[in-house]
Amino acid sequence: MSIVIDNITHIYHRGTPLETVALSGVSLVVDRGEWVSVVGHTGSGKSTLAQHMNALLLPTEGHVSVDGVGVEENRARLREIRRKVGLVFQYPEQQIFEETVFEEIAFGPKNWGVPGDEIPERVTEALSLAGLGETFKELSPFHLSGGEKRRVAIASVLAVRPDYLVLDEPTAGLDASGKRELCDLLHGLKQKGTGIVHITHDLELAVSVSDRILVLTGGKSRLWGTPGVILEELTEREVPGLVMPPVPLFSGRLRELGMDVPVTWNAETLVGAIERCVGK
Amino acid sequence: MRFLNHLTLGQYVPTGSVVHKTDPRAKILATLSILTGVFLADQWQVFALWAAFLTIVVVMSRLPLSMVLRTARPVIFLVVFTAVIHLLFSQGTPIFRFGILKVTEEGLRMAFKMGSRLFLLVIFAGTLTLTTSPTELADGLEHLLSPLKPLGFPAHEMAMMMTIAIRFIPTLLDETDRIMKAQLARGADLDSGGIIKRLRAFIPVLVPLFVIVFQRAEELAIAMESRNYKGGAGRTRMNPLVWRSRDSVAFLTVLVVTVFLVFLNSRMSLV
Ligand SMILES: Nc1ncnc2c1ncn2[C@@H]1O[C@H](COP(=O)(O)OP(=O)(O)O)[C@@H](O)[C@H]1O
Ligand SMILES: [Mg+2]
Repeated sequence: MSIVIDNITHIYHRGTPLETVALSGVSLVVDRGEWVSVVGHTGSGKSTLAQHMNALLLPTEGHVSVDGVGVEENRARLREIRRKVGLVFQYPEQQIFEETVFEEIAFGPKNWGVPGDEIPERVTEALSLAGLGETFKELSPFHLSGGEKRRVAIASVLAVRPDYLVLDEPTAGLDASGKRELCDLLHGLKQKGTGIVHITHDLELAVSVSDRILVLTGGKSRLWGTPGVILEELTEREVPGLVMPPVPLFSGRLRELGMDVPVTWNAETLVGAIERCVGK
Repeated sequence: MRFLNHLTLGQYVPTGSVVHKTDPRAKILATLSILTGVFLADQWQVFALWAAFLTIVVVMSRLPLSMVLRTARPVIFLVVFTAVIHLLFSQGTPIFRFGILKVTEEGLRMAFKMGSRLFLLVIFAGTLTLTTSPTELADGLEHLLSPLKPLGFPAHEMAMMMTIAIRFIPTLLDETDRIMKAQLARGADLDSGGIIKRLRAFIPVLVPLFVIVFQRAEELAIAMESRNYKGGAGRTRMNPLVWRSRDSVAFLTVLVVTVFLVFLNSRMSLV
């Protein structure tokens, strides 16, 4: 049971002067219960890749399948794929349109034909997953704070109980504690067996939360593996367009200056190593 | 860069030709003069001369002729329809008839006249937008309308509104695309059922779009005010329009051509 992206290429406006190759030869596998992060600079094709996972875009070349069902098949199956793979767009709070939080969250389940008497339960469940209380139900979503709106938008996708959840830069514009809470929520879903695809340009965050990471640059996949593998590769050679987080950058500099510290991504480890050096 | 950007803003095709470099005021005035001339024309020889003049302008603008002709595509139906109506329903000496339909000599003439007139009007106007950027057009209009300001006509505000509206079209198309996809991802069914059902299905797209547009408009207003924008009075320009002698030459040439062709037309209609 997995999303399989097999060597896909996506070209926008093919055959016009505006032809743009957004992805070329990208492959990726996401299992249920696994957290995969896709990291890349702006314009590297992350959002384009995200939209292939629930058949909003079809590949120009290559193959995409969800739990063994190929996206190129008929319309009924496309809808089945869209139900299985929940997609949270960047700034999802902008897609809010209903008068109450309840209605907003019920929008998805109604579209997918969830029986009416089951909907209140779905809404309550999604609200609590998103960390919002029952009291929100009757409020107007337009009067909530930015962070609360985003939670409502995410809840509206969770209410469909997707098997996979793809989030396009979900932490954009959130503060540190907002990021933490969102990651905890995703971690909880992962433990319950949901496959998570987390799109971000925050390499440090990706390394700390993911099972596997895909690094995209210029529409091509550069690196693919566990955070450990990615760390090793990245400290060996830089990937253009990808900014190294401060801790590994700093530890690298210290080593260049002749200090005996390991190349590490962990601030605690680095502080320990420096203490040892200074203590000597 | 999005495809639709180019479709909407796309009227303007820069080639750096003399026609492009001519002051927008000269081009707007010249176009008005031409449109009057074409409107008054009713002799086929005069239409032919206007078409010849158009060809000269197009060659000077270094635009492919086919591109200029394409600007008439949206009205081609109207042109044909007008021509056919005149062809079939004019009174006069019949040339031939099938059943109750008869084609008269007068009808043939009218059809040609109305068709050519409409076609030329549209193509000349199209040439103006192909060779003049929206900003230049707005600037030119503002200047030309500024004598009306003392009468309370908001020339600057009109031009600014036009510029902003044009600037926002691509953004709006992008946002629409994004929100449609977001609602599709939540299972919205945007394209099945009857007309009412489809219109209702668009509510999830329209509401967020309005919210975004109002937000953007407010942000833009704040951004403009915080930089002390207070309308047109006392505002300087980065590229002030400069009327050069060649602009006078261009405008006067067109004016002379128009006067000549209108005169020619009236002489010929007397015969
Ligand atoms: N709808 C579209 N039409 C045309 N080009 C697009 C469209 N969406 C994205 N692109 C182009 O595809 C490339 C990848 O974009 P995107 O997937 O949005 O990257 P990212 O999410 O990593 O910033 C960019 O060059 C972008 O300009
Ligand atoms: Mg993106």
